Amino acid sequence: MPVAGLGTLVPPGTRPAPTTSIEQGASPVEVPAAVPTGSGDGTSGGPAPSTGGPAVPGGGSGGTGSGGSSGGGASGDGRSGGVGRSRRSAGRRFGVAERWTRPVLAVCALVPLLALVAVVAALLVKAWPVIAYNGFGFFTHVAWRPGSQYAQPVVTGGVAHPPGASFGALPLIAGTVESSFIALLLAVPVAIGTALVVVEKLPPRLSGSIGLCLEVLAGVPSVVIGLWGALALGPFLAHHVSPFIVGHIPDVPVLRFLKGSPGYGEGLLTSGVVLAVMILPIIAATTRDLLRQVPRDTVDGAVALGMTDAESLRAVTLPWVRTGIIGASVLGLGRALGETMAVAMVSGAVLGAVPHNLYQTMTTIAATIVSQLDSAFTDATGFFLRTLAEAGLVLVVITLLVNVGARMLVRRVASTALPVGRGI
Amino acid sequence: MSTRPNAPRLLLTAGRRRRLGAVSLVAGAALALAACSSASSASSASPAAKTSSSSSGATSLASLEKAPTATVSLSETGSTLLYPLFQKWAPAYTALHSNITVTPAGTGSGTGISQASTGAVDIGASDAYLSSAQTQSTPSLENIPLAISAQMINYNIPGFSGTLKLNGKLLSAIYQGQISNWNDPKIAAVNPGVTLPNLKIVALHRSDGSGDTFIFTQYLSKQDPSGWGTKISYGTSVSFPAISNALGENGNGGMVSGCNATPGCVAYIGISYQSQTQGDHLGQAELQNGSGNYVALTSQSIAAEAASFAGSTPASGAISLVNGTNAAQGYPIINYEYAIVNAQQSSATTAQAIKALLAWAMDPSGGSAPSFLGAVNFQPLPASAVAVSEHLLSKIQ
Repeated sequence: MPVAGLGTLVPPGTRPAPTTSIEQGASPVEVPAAVPTGSGDGTSGGPAPSTGGPAVPGGGSGGTGSGGSSGGGASGDGRSGGVGRSRRSAGRRFGVAERWTRPVLAVCALVPLLALVAVVAALLVKAWPVIAYNGFGFFTHVAWRPGSQYAQPVVTGGVAHPPGASFGALPLIAGTVESSFIALLLAVPVAIGTALVVVEKLPPRLSGSIGLCLEVLAGVPSVVIGLWGALALGPFLAHHVSPFIVGHIPDVPVLRFLKGSPGYGEGLLTSGVVLAVMILPIIAATTRDLLRQVPRDTVDGAVALGMTDAESLRAVTLPWVRTGIIGASVLGLGRALGETMAVAMVSGAVLGAVPHNLYQTMTTIAATIVSQLDSAFTDATGFFLRTLAEAGLVLVVITLLVNVGARMLVRRVASTALPVGRGI
Repeated sequence: MSTRPNAPRLLLTAGRRRRLGAVSLVAGAALALAACSSASSASSASPAAKTSSSSSGATSLASLEKAPTATVSLSETGSTLLYPLFQKWAPAYTALHSNITVTPAGTGSGTGISQASTGAVDIGASDAYLSSAQTQSTPSLENIPLAISAQMINYNIPGFSGTLKLNGKLLSAIYQGQISNWNDPKIAAVNPGVTLPNLKIVALHRSDGSGDTFIFTQYLSKQDPSGWGTKISYGTSVSFPAISNALGENGNGGMVSGCNATPGCVAYIGISYQSQTQGDHLGQAELQNGSGNYVALTSQSIAAEAASFAGSTPASGAISLVNGTNAAQGYPIINYEYAIVNAQQSSATTAQAIKALLAWAMDPSGGSAPSFLGAVNFQPLPASAVAVSEHLLSKIQ
């Protein structure tokens, strides 16, 4: 079937020439008969091969001839009658495929675009009335007040809302960005290390089983990792890790973020570590695949020049995969930004305050949308629901900015990379 | 449409409602208008109906329980507090009427209200009654009391196994961060003879929308009207003050496990989770009621409080049972568990099945027998509340 796909993508007008050249190589005698059937196939020429018995192999290979190597192989096989019959029915199938491939592929190509537009448009339409009402304060205020849903709704500036309703998304945005940043900070170095060890150092059998672990870890549902975070990791961090960090960090301006009450196991640090565990396999598996593409000869050359392992790593291997690692990290960051369930379970889910130390409870945009949705349904004015849609829109924009930023970064880094290669 | 009283009903027949899509909203509004006139006349007549039906409550319930003979599949979603009870009701009811199946789901009170109003489910379940804004936007939506639930205030204070007395002013101050240690003199003042450790209080609240948050914040609002009542008020989700010792937990189960894992915690938890809180050895506070007495949560104190609201439950069924002032020994945080049903059903058979199921559910010899309610520590409706529910049920068509 891939053969049919390849063949049909080429416009019919380009066929006779390659067909002829292949047929000349295979059986010169049949060329005159083969050319008309070959050029006339596709939309209308399906039944044609069945009229001329001996010309069948030529006609059949004419349909796939532009596939190059596969066409050549087929014309060789075509000498036996049995294969000839199968090729005839294949010709008919190609006719149907030819007719439908273009529109089907066109639709397939449009689906991602349409899906993105549909999602953003739906959020925009839902959120539109409250975007103006919430205004820029949505990004600077910390209070999250659903208002009194059991009081008579009031109308302000044409927007009906429960009295006292006022939403500020700064804590959600800050929580989303901070927890994802912590996750990236923890996961990227470990992931690169894992990938290096797996590719460069370990014997094949061991590296295979570690690769399997990465894939299994990537497949563990986020709710399970969230459960582990809430039941095991959170208490462990609160009792053993956080007090240690708090006790050993000097009290200077920037590092003050790491000081404070060690908390209760739910908060920014636990969320960051849980997210790091979730994005680690994504980054590590991608980096591992990239490292395997680093040409052996170049690395061996570096070693032959007297470089140590560390030097060849810095001079050859890492520059080769640098852009790829950035891409893998963005992939992981995208997952971390949007992760909902695990964060909802370990963040402490406290609205209304930006965390000012590593151990404080927080929440993210995604976790808030899922935890507040049920309450939003009880707001008869729809104001609450529209505000959640606006929060969703903000999350989409953040993800978009991260992706655009990564592209720009990749372009910049790629242009200054060493001439040994550019990774993916 | 207003000239022909039958027109709204016709619009809903033969599955056209589904096809109409967005137009159904408009149709719903028109229907609402039409229903409004009939509903208002019915509710104005309801006090009379209530007094008459309270004497003959049992017979009326029995007539409502007449199930249809056609095969009906009912869906229910909403309150996670009511969900375990619906899970017990569903197979029991199908055992009685093999042609009726009930599929319950626990999603949250807000989802129950919203899906019942859109028609996505036949029955919504909610711990909170409908707001006036919701009733205005969908006048045919009813909240029908089914049973009585209550709420525990639990705490985890290592080394202290006694019973703590708490009130709404103390809890309000705790949740606002004004009282942050269990050895605070304000707590000691209402607990004479009790020595509490020097331990930080961690105030747990529900991070998801919840009927438990609704009744808890109602208690705080009523006991501390000038503080919590004006600053924060009540709802299924409120802006809990962002204090450093606050934790948000998901669901009643999250509250139990969170409180168990966090020494110093205080939490509000639905009574259906009492076996879990007792299993985890969490303390259960005595609360000050509207009469000023500290009362422990028992079936008697719930029943006493519920009985004190006997005459005052309005025909709509929407009333807060929190912090009543008429029962000296009543427990202050109790509530009706509601079924949210659209009184205008698209099929008469479905309407009859809903009526029959819910009437059976509140029948003390049916779904409200101790064998059902006892499992979740709910109490059956007092006779006067049954009369209100009967009247609401009879309007479903």
